[in-house]
Amino acid sequence: MENMIELRNVSKEFKVLNRREGLKGSIKDLFSRDYKIVRAVDNISMNIKQGEIIGYLGPNGAGKSTTIKMMTGVLEPTSGEILVGGNIPYKNRTKNAQEIGVVFGQRSQLWWALPLIESFKLLKDIYQISNSDYNSMLALYQSLVDIEPLLHKPVRQMSLGQRTLSDILAAFLHNPKIVFLDEPTIGLDVSMKAKIRTLIHALNKEKHTTVILTTHDMGDVDALCQRIVIIDKGKMLYNNDIEHLKGFFGSYRTLKIRIDGELKQQAKVIQEELPDFSVSADEEWISILVDEEKATVMEVLNQLQQSHEIRDMQLEEISTEEVIKKIYEEGVE
Amino acid sequence: MKLRKYFSLTRAGIIESLQFRLATVVMIFGNLLYLIVVYFLWKAIFASSGTDMVNGMTFSDTLIYLVLATALFNFMEMYTVWEIGRNIQSGKIVLDLLKPMEYRRYLFWSYSGTFVTQFFFTFLPTFIVVAIVTHGAITFGFNLVFFVISVIMAVAINYSIDFLVGTICLYTESIWGINIMKQVIVLLLSGATIPIAFFPEPLKTIVYYLPFQSIYNAPLTLLLDGNSKPDTTLITLGTQLIWCVVMLVLSKLFWKISLRQITVNGG
Repeated sequence: MENMIELRNVSKEFKVLNRREGLKGSIKDLFSRDYKIVRAVDNISMNIKQGEIIGYLGPNGAGKSTTIKMMTGVLEPTSGEILVGGNIPYKNRTKNAQEIGVVFGQRSQLWWALPLIESFKLLKDIYQISNSDYNSMLALYQSLVDIEPLLHKPVRQMSLGQRTLSDILAAFLHNPKIVFLDEPTIGLDVSMKAKIRTLIHALNKEKHTTVILTTHDMGDVDALCQRIVIIDKGKMLYNNDIEHLKGFFGSYRTLKIRIDGELKQQAKVIQEELPDFSVSADEEWISILVDEEKATVMEVLNQLQQSHEIRDMQLEEISTEEVIKKIYEEGVE
Repeated sequence: MKLRKYFSLTRAGIIESLQFRLATVVMIFGNLLYLIVVYFLWKAIFASSGTDMVNGMTFSDTLIYLVLATALFNFMEMYTVWEIGRNIQSGKIVLDLLKPMEYRRYLFWSYSGTFVTQFFFTFLPTFIVVAIVTHGAITFGFNLVFFVISVIMAVAINYSIDFLVGTICLYTESIWGINIMKQVIVLLLSGATIPIAFFPEPLKTIVYYLPFQSIYNAPLTLLLDGNSKPDTTLITLGTQLIWCVVMLVLSKLFWKISLRQITVNGG
């Protein structure tokens, strides 16, 4: 399959004014300015294939938006090469714009005072979508979500969820090759989140649109992304499948058991029996973090049963969220 | 087919501006107040001068000129500087830049719908009222054709100046002061608030060499001076055309350079 997006050793530096503190400092700033160079994106390379949904993750200020802005052509990289659908985005922004769709969770590209259908008609003319393409797209939308009640509602009267949904539909309207979704589910309730995930998934399947998704919500990632890219402080930390990610720190699972007696006390006893694993206790459960490369959960359970009477047990997989949290905090070894 | 995307924006603009009925009413009322102030101010000026004619203009000449200037102002003012400034501050400009259309054009055509509504709701009624009330102060002849051509160029010059000033917002990130400054300079030097005939001599000459008088003074003079010589008309329109091209090129160039600056250094 062909690469839709290629980034080769892309870096982006910003000149940032070093502001001095206090009133005196502010006055000094008026006369002498002292800049420092900040590297927002540091030597990132990746390839994204057609039809992929990529989760682009990182803590706030990691350089995600900067990368997206470079891919859309709003920013020019300081060094490195970017190709989006064969175009160099910043050199040919208008042409590139025809091939991409964008949703920024916090702001809308729709016409505030107009009913949604008018925004759609406008986009149809701006992107020069043919009548037949436009109609079949609307039919597809209708089959995926119930848009009829939304179409005649002015955007300003919509709820955040309806607006986000509309924005996503607007971004896909001209059937772009790539859609950038920047925190599309921010601030939405659970059912709306699920609806939007289903929609994105269906549009991706139907149109083979490449989707770049930035989010802080691991639910989005688990539901949509086959591959994730994690960056922090401008550097790429991880670029691989989600499945890989989970195995990244060894295969950990949490075994929770309930036994008779004072749990804190018992936890200490068990810790002595199992020196390889970390054991902790709360009001209800004793949790044992099992590294399956050292012993399987069954072996641990067998060993415990010989000396304790286990009343109840639970087994938890380590979640994507925990893994990513670990990467943000500790980095990759 | 190419024009279609622009007219589509015009159409949306018309629908959009029709949604805000109350705003239109308030604006018409505000204009009325302004015109009343203008009326009494100039009445006082003429009364204190003791003659019927000041700087070659009678009281009714002046008033007709200023009423039409106000109507023209409502028609032409696009608040472009505000719009650009707001878009930059809110970050919406990123979305606008990602439209498959030049930002300059996108902004102009997005606003263009308001031209249509303003024309029918303020300019045309004012024009008709003035024409009826003054019994023939406005001649109906070729001057109307020149006026229309002149206004089209005035709109282009006005927009280019606005866009040029708006571009400065990319650097300053503040709009208020810049906008006020632009507003004062344009309104004064274009003859929108005081007819240029009233300017003292050296300033008058300077003003004729500046682009601003092409925005209000030029079309209004063409309209009101029913039997001007053909060469005066030609000079006025020619000057406008030159400024039209110059400002267009300047604003385009400045935007291009500034935007490059921004895409390179970030904003």
